[in-house]
Amino acid sequence: MMNKIMTMVRKELIDAARDKRSVMAGLSYAIGTPLLMCGMFMLLIGQMSSPKDLNIKIEHANNAPDLIKYLSSQGITHGDSRSTDDQGEPLDVKDIRLVISEDYAAQMAKGLSAEVILIADNSNEKLQNSIRRLERNLQTYSAEMGSLRLIARGIDPRVVQPIKVKIEDQATPDSKGGIILGIATMTMIYAVFISGMNLAIDTSAGERERNSLALLLSHPVSTRSIVLAKVFAVTVFAMLGLLLTLIISKISYAYVPWHELGFTVNISTDFILLMLLIGLPIAMMAASLQLFVSFMAKSFKEAQSYLTLVLIVPMMLSMAASYNIAPDTLQWLPVSGQQQALIAFIKGREIPMLQLVLSSVVTLVITLALTFAMERSLKSEKIIFGL
Amino acid sequence: MIKVSNLSKRIGEVQALDDLSFEAKDGQITGLLGPNGAGKTTCLRTIFGLLQPDKGIAEIDGIDVSKYPIEAKQQLGLFPDPFGLYERLTPREYVSYFAELNGLSRVEAKAATAKVLSQLHMDDIADRRCKGFSQGQRMKTALAQAIVHQPTNIILDEPTRGLDVMSTRVLRDLLRGLKENGHCVLFSSHVMQEVAALCDQVIVMADGKVIAIGSPDDLCRQTGKDSLEDAFIQLIGTDEGIAA
Amino acid sequence: MFHGKRDRSETRKAINSVKGKPLMTLIGTLLISSMILSLPASASADSENSENNTRVPASQNEQTCYLDGLSEQVSCGFITVPENPAKPDGKQIEIHYAVLAAIKNSNYAEAFLAIAGGPGQSAIDNAAGFSRIFSKIRQSRDILLIDQRGTGRSNILNCLGDGFEDPLAINEADFDVATETQACLDELDADVTQYGSLNALDDFEAVRKHLGYKKLHVYGISYGTRMAQLYLRHYPEVLSTVTIDGVVPMQQSVLAIGNSISRAFDLLIKDCNTNKLCGAQFPNLKADLASVDAKLAIAPMVSQVPDPLTGESTQLTMTRAKFMGAIRMALYMPNVRALIPHAINEAAKDNFQPILGMYALTIDSTGIAMGMHVSVICGEDWQRLTAAERDAANQTYFGREMVTTFEQSCAIWNMPAVDADFSAPISSDIPILVLSGELDPATPPSWGELAMEKLTNAKHFIAPYATHGVAHQSCANELIAELVDSGNVQELDGECLNKDVRRNFYLNASTVEAIPAQEHKQEPVQKPKQALAQGASHD
Repeated sequence: MMNKIMTMVRKELIDAARDKRSVMAGLSYAIGTPLLMCGMFMLLIGQMSSPKDLNIKIEHANNAPDLIKYLSSQGITHGDSRSTDDQGEPLDVKDIRLVISEDYAAQMAKGLSAEVILIADNSNEKLQNSIRRLERNLQTYSAEMGSLRLIARGIDPRVVQPIKVKIEDQATPDSKGGIILGIATMTMIYAVFISGMNLAIDTSAGERERNSLALLLSHPVSTRSIVLAKVFAVTVFAMLGLLLTLIISKISYAYVPWHELGFTVNISTDFILLMLLIGLPIAMMAASLQLFVSFMAKSFKEAQSYLTLVLIVPMMLSMAASYNIAPDTLQWLPVSGQQQALIAFIKGREIPMLQLVLSSVVTLVITLALTFAMERSLKSEKIIFGL
Repeated sequence: MIKVSNLSKRIGEVQALDDLSFEAKDGQITGLLGPNGAGKTTCLRTIFGLLQPDKGIAEIDGIDVSKYPIEAKQQLGLFPDPFGLYERLTPREYVSYFAELNGLSRVEAKAATAKVLSQLHMDDIADRRCKGFSQGQRMKTALAQAIVHQPTNIILDEPTRGLDVMSTRVLRDLLRGLKENGHCVLFSSHVMQEVAALCDQVIVMADGKVIAIGSPDDLCRQTGKDSLEDAFIQLIGTDEGIAA
Repeated sequence: MFHGKRDRSETRKAINSVKGKPLMTLIGTLLISSMILSLPASASADSENSENNTRVPASQNEQTCYLDGLSEQVSCGFITVPENPAKPDGKQIEIHYAVLAAIKNSNYAEAFLAIAGGPGQSAIDNAAGFSRIFSKIRQSRDILLIDQRGTGRSNILNCLGDGFEDPLAINEADFDVATETQACLDELDADVTQYGSLNALDDFEAVRKHLGYKKLHVYGISYGTRMAQLYLRHYPEVLSTVTIDGVVPMQQSVLAIGNSISRAFDLLIKDCNTNKLCGAQFPNLKADLASVDAKLAIAPMVSQVPDPLTGESTQLTMTRAKFMGAIRMALYMPNVRALIPHAINEAAKDNFQPILGMYALTIDSTGIAMGMHVSVICGEDWQRLTAAERDAANQTYFGREMVTTFEQSCAIWNMPAVDADFSAPISSDIPILVLSGELDPATPPSWGELAMEKLTNAKHFIAPYATHGVAHQSCANELIAELVDSGNVQELDGECLNKDVRRNFYLNASTVEAIPAQEHKQEPVQKPKQALAQGASHD
């Protein structure tokens, strides 16, 4: 029986490897998604970080030359639409206006507060960092002047800082990148579902459409062997997709300037191994689920549309886990349970072994149930002939 | 030897098989003749074990197919209709794959495949993928698959459908060869000449029942007609669904 | 940065210790690393978000910890070394270090060692500052901070004398240096003769080996430049690059600092005079300074003032030492420096409030471990001071005060002198970046030039607007990052140092902008160009 299963698995894999559609489906996800994620993060980081030289519109700058000079030393300068940089390129002038009040110098001289008006759209995410940077610099300038005003009056500036908040951030070195990696983990787990999907349809609904299913069943092979071989072949494909996703991720994530967000995202070899280990039961479940649904469907096309719907379930589970909006029961369920364990690992916390084992066991039970149901269904004339 | 006894099978509203009994002996070519919808394919599928009979037994070499499907099918070769080729595999891979499924080791399967491919003069296409094959090339590939493991019993479902003259001749020669080597060959057909030219025994089917069994000569004699065609029309009462 | 460097009890201790030795604090400290002195209420620098990958703890003596001003976890640890290397089985002391792990853990084999000044400052206490300044370097390299023996957490040699309770009321002239020094020595549980730079260098090397770094990029500021140069002399094979910032050349005894201080005073007065606004507001600055100095030299001014911190009425004995000391310390910090002309102007009018405010800044903010400070100065600088140098030092107020102080202290401390070749110039072909601030009141650019004498692969940049410690006042930190990255000092371009970042001087107790005439409103809209020109005119 094992020999026959191996024969069938080998044949399925050769067949699948020559199927451009199956290969492309697996490859495009495994290669595309990490790259897409990287591109997205790069874009996001680029938009979020304030440029080294921040050009804004400063009005009535001549009312506060020292403030302007300070801002300039911090890389914040006035620019208008006609300004150009050293290469003659038009400057990127942010839509932030800083208006110095007319009585700035007079108020200052009297020891009062001098007004500057910061005009910007705070809901514009591309500007937020720049706005905050400007605010922070104004605060720093103001606080420094405040201190010096106190010193000039013989008062220790510490008296105006009654509370000193000392922050001890318990985030471990890895946990900050964990948020990002949580989303990344989701895409990786999903790779297991996507990579094998086309093969699953091809080898079930597709096989029936091509009339080879009846031929196969007419041979002296048990339906159990056939089902196991197909599940195994799809699992192998899914795992290859996962491995490829992990490798591409490991390489490509290194190029994202995470450090601008103040942390690093590193896909360690340990993580890859753990992911593969945890991913195996999920891949088996995904394979059996996809095969089961495809056998139930009447045609290739129908299988595709069913599966698209069915795959929303693991997607939701995975998303719930990565965005941490999950009720506690989710940690015992397939996919979300394993993903939470992975996220815990990334964040350097202790892996919740009980949950991991239990959700993996549930995953395997589902796999077995689906496999058994498929074995039964392949004895049904309706399924064999797609009636 | 293939034997069915009292097979009955309902598919939906239709009584596809109705108390069907016959026997195909080793060293003989048996033809299952009947108009479209007579129940030929249902009968053959029941013998493969794809369909479960409501009543009756199908046996291969004396083994009940529904009770011991794997053992029973061990000595069975299948030429299905349609062929069910794997388009992305080459004939060599395809044939060798089914040889292995029939219990040959990889090495044995490879040797047997090479042998059957040259026997069918397929060496030129043996390592091309099946996609794009002509109907004749497909037929040969399916046939190679059916006989690669040298089964005692070979079942062919409408083997000549859609074949050109050359391919039909190849098929005939092969079937005769099998018969001479003592194999039991059972094929279904609705082509009269085919049956007349090849069969030692003809089973005429209609509406899931056996109408008559015997050699072509027996049937002619039985009906008092000169040709098998006339005999057949006489037997089933109509010429609908029959090709000359 | 300076507030909350210690927990509360430690802070009290530190304050007490300083109260015990105001004279030594004010005049005895030679080479303050200005990093430590920034304005208390200034908004804390950008919150540090840096993160890193877990380093494998080097030993059970290493654990995660929080350092002041850094919200993140870093790893802290220590090694144990004999206090006296000649007696390996004798008393053991702990040398503490902290590792600010690289954000991208791409270069484990190399670390960036930042050495603090003083002598006597703790590098670990300044972790937040180092992390901010060298954030670029930290992207790919661990930053290693070591509390030099006798400082910070490494068997600190503090002087916790009972001294005077009130630093404002004390007249420094009444202070008995010899008695206080002896009291300090008696209190210390240490063989103070073992706390010189050379022993400390071997500690650094032991820490490097312990952590397994193959190569170091070394940055030394102020006194830390001496440690960096000793590293170059004794362990050149483990160095990739070296940056010395605010340089004390080996050839130079730091006790010659008096001239540097005078020079910085002169530069300040010149700066104000050539600045249109400051020059107009304080035309008699030089004369005012001289007159106040002369007046206080005769007798201190005694008055009742609110305590700068508590607000309680207290006696202020404004002495020459306080007046000159407060100004000297203000010269280290560009932002406080801007207040000096106003402070002198007010002092000339017998209002010492601004001076009091500046003085209050210095009372407990230097973080200098005085015992270790004295060990280094007495062993390495006092004894090599030639008679001619001593005469020269006596020409200036600060030089004279220091010579007098250390004459008494060193007699009690009894440090063995370092060998004569300690003073030899360093010769090296390792890439070395030498940084000097033109306005430096401690280590003038000429000292940096002296250090260059036998450096064959070095470059000396003088930042025209920086005081002491160029890296944190200019773009020099980026130059250092470039050096660390490329390992090539010759291609560095110091042009960015010339960017004019000077700010206006305070024209009264409240403003740095031109004070509008009282009678009629300023009309900037009509005279924008003029106003701009004014702002820039103090270039």
